[in-house]
Amino acid sequence: MPSTNLTGSDREFLADLQTLLADPAQQDNPMREPLVRLLEQFLGQRERLERLVRISDGYHHLARDQRLSLVEQYDKQVRRLEKLARISDRYQNSLRELSLALRDAALHDPLTGLANRRFLMERLREEADRSKRLKRGFSLAIMNVDHFKHINDEYGHEAGDLVLQAIARAIESQLREYDQCGRWGGEEFLILLPETPLDQAQAVLERIRVAVAEINRVGGEISTRLSASFGLAEHLHEENFSATISRAYQALYAAKAAGRNRVEQA
Amino acid sequence: MKELNIKGTQSTPEISARWDDGVLSMSGDSYPENSFEFFGEVIGWLEEYLQKSEQALHLELRLIYINTSSVKAMMDIFDLCEEAFGRGRAVRVNWYYDPRNERVLDLADEFKEDCSFPFEITEDAQH
Repeated sequence: MPSTNLTGSDREFLADLQTLLADPAQQDNPMREPLVRLLEQFLGQRERLERLVRISDGYHHLARDQRLSLVEQYDKQVRRLEKLARISDRYQNSLRELSLALRDAALHDPLTGLANRRFLMERLREEADRSKRLKRGFSLAIMNVDHFKHINDEYGHEAGDLVLQAIARAIESQLREYDQCGRWGGEEFLILLPETPLDQAQAVLERIRVAVAEINRVGGEISTRLSASFGLAEHLHEENFSATISRAYQALYAAKAAGRNRVEQA
Repeated sequence: MKELNIKGTQSTPEISARWDDGVLSMSGDSYPENSFEFFGEVIGWLEEYLQKSEQALHLELRLIYINTSSVKAMMDIFDLCEEAFGRGRAVRVNWYYDPRNERVLDLADEFKEDCSFPFEITEDAQH
């Protein structure tokens, strides 16, 4: 008889049946033959069932392993993706900062830290548009340092640079919150005074003029008296801002001609 | 044996791979138009070298700005290194950065995080 993993009552029943079938007194029992066949069939079925369960378990194992490894792979991919995004974000951030720094550098004068001509042009365009739209005027002044060539010639260009820096600080110290100044070129500065009529602009520029004249020592060696001349113009509605600048220049030449260290209005 | 020499451009790094001394170096910015194709060649070289040679592998990196798919490619490259290192292969990475751009240091550090092989991040003496 094939040995199968029978349990408790099944094994007892089988043992009883086998004893019964082996009993010589039962050899001629007509039920003996069909019983033997039935028993064989039962055991065969039993074995098939067990094989089936074994194979099916095998598949279960396989599927389970596969699932675990998929979960593992998935977790790993998620971690990789997170890392990728993290690193990529950092690269993007540093590029963004770089582009902000470049923008800043493109719009500022490296010597004085003031806005440069490009920045001023943008602001002037905006201000002219605003003035057209809202019918609010602005004033602007061109300021030129008096006898700057003399400073450069006498003390050298490095000293000249220090003077320009000191003058930039003096201008900034007298500006109001919404005013904008910048280095227009060389020793020339542009001061933009939004929504400011001429008389008020004149007062602001007078303060700047005095602040520049009060610089008496730069870098511990230059003790020459500094001064600056200003040409002031109010923007007229519908006027192109370059026309305003031209009128400011005319006023500046007048200030120079009248003896410098003064503000002239267009 | 096979050598790899890819000239750098504005958007792709300079790459050289020398079979005899096992050095793979990459430097510059990496914004290739098709980075799977671009790095495919490098990864192919690396796989072949790790498979067919027994010698040590040394990565010399001077990468600056790189796009997302290049970050992915670098992670793949480091995974290959990690695998090889796990099998007992001598692998090391040197990532050099320009001290004027310290952010690269942080980024290299981020790459290094899961690597168990020697991975050094040092200021580049060339600058």
